[in-house]
Amino acid sequence: MRDARASRRIGAALRAGARGARERPLVFLLAVATMAGGLLVLGAYLLVVANLRGVLARAGEELRLVAFTELRGAAGDAPVAALEARIRAQDGVAAVTYVAPDQALERLRADLGQDAGVLEGLEHNPLPGSFEIAPPRELRDPAQLRALADRISALPGVSEVRWGEPWVEGYARLVRIVEWVGAGLGAFLLLVLGAIVASTVRLSLHARADEIQIQRLVGAGGWFVRLPFCLEGALQGLLAAAFALLVLRGTFALGLPLLGDALAWALGGRPAVFFGAGEAAALVALGVLLGLGGALASLVNLDERA
Amino acid sequence: MIQMYHVDLRYAGGTYGLRDVSLELERGDFVFLTGASGAGKTSLLRLLFGAQQPSAGQILVAGRNITRLPASQIPHLRRQIGVIFQDFKLLPERSVYENVAIALEIAGVSRSEIRTRVWSMLKRLGLGHRIDHKPRMLSGGEQQRVAIARALVNDPPLLLADEPTGNLDPGLALDIMDIIADAHARGTTVVVATHDPALLDRYRHRRVVLDGGRLASTRGPDEYSSALRHVRGTRA
Repeated sequence: MRDARASRRIGAALRAGARGARERPLVFLLAVATMAGGLLVLGAYLLVVANLRGVLARAGEELRLVAFTELRGAAGDAPVAALEARIRAQDGVAAVTYVAPDQALERLRADLGQDAGVLEGLEHNPLPGSFEIAPPRELRDPAQLRALADRISALPGVSEVRWGEPWVEGYARLVRIVEWVGAGLGAFLLLVLGAIVASTVRLSLHARADEIQIQRLVGAGGWFVRLPFCLEGALQGLLAAAFALLVLRGTFALGLPLLGDALAWALGGRPAVFFGAGEAAALVALGVLLGLGGALASLVNLDERA
Repeated sequence: MIQMYHVDLRYAGGTYGLRDVSLELERGDFVFLTGASGAGKTSLLRLLFGAQQPSAGQILVAGRNITRLPASQIPHLRRQIGVIFQDFKLLPERSVYENVAIALEIAGVSRSEIRTRVWSMLKRLGLGHRIDHKPRMLSGGEQQRVAIARALVNDPPLLLADEPTGNLDPGLALDIMDIIADAHARGTTVVVATHDPALLDRYRHRRVVLDGGRLASTRGPDEYSSALRHVRGTRA
């Protein structure tokens, strides 16, 4: 009996919320539009950060350590194969490729292109053999890479290891900056959005002040008054996020061809990517949570006695 | 039904809305709360339905000490009390039906029972033909009848009315008072705040007179209520 009464009360609170939204469509739509604007800015920002991170991740994937060797044999020669096996056995080595001196010369010739003639006068191939070592994805910390390079340098037959230390350190710093600035700006945008939502819910609260007063008068409990606003806030967040996603997707599809080469250059030739299903769902969930949170924040001081 | 013991209501500036008011009303009483404007009538009613907390003293309503009632319990108290105001406090965008039904919706009554009870109440108050109308389409007297219907539809044991006829013509005022008297006849305890001498003359009920927030007198001019309840005066 008590449960039936409680569920009927919830039903009545929901109907009151829906009626409130219907009776004040302008306030409702204003809240949706404001939130959608905020989520649009946040979504665009997240999209830029995601693509920038993609560029960095790809650059990171191309990271290689090059271990030069005194050995000058071909790939299948026993000493080369033995050294390759020892390198492969090191912690922090995902893949090893041997580049024989002849292969190295061919690459140089290809790189020089029209200027390859300068190599014609060589009496013998001066280039050493080398092992190209790919560290695993998770190993991008300069200190760990340095330790790996030192271990490989110490192996007999390895004359020198190069791994582009300045580049790796710069890369790591850039990743950190993107992550920190991303988190900071993201948190700031979320705060601003939360404040906007709280203000719009207060506006709605003000518009329904008479109704709330009468509900209170006839015995409405705190949750009966709060529930419609929470649901309204969540619904506004949902609609705002969906709208922001639609606008972002449209802008993405229409804007990319216009940016053309400039974008390709900025992304290092990598195609720009839009949010995946999981990320889009997260943005929608964020909108719902923002709407709910904003409503709760603005209702926290609702006077139980008034 | 109501016991007030040495109740003070003191405002932030140090002035008193009520001072040392003690009062007892038994179940089924009909009491006029009277006095000049600013005497404390509305303040006393607000204390009774938990809109304000007294600064001192104790108030019991239907056996519950509402001065110790947590805020979360106030809604339960209010579902036992019907309240009527001079300005009706109706929702202008809702129909007469919806304005009355709100009290039952909040109480968790089923929709079919709401329909039956609202219809029956509106018919009893002569508003059956106005059920789908908005308050702005009604006369002042009809609007007050809607407010009374909302207050009574839940069958509350206590009805509080704050100047219920203050905005009405004398003829309509008597109509409204007849409805309230009818609720009293059905067993509801009634407290009506008014300073309308015509009503006081016509309805011979006990009078509690407030003056400057203090209880000044507890009997009507004709001593009608002399045999009724014991009412205590000031502490000093």
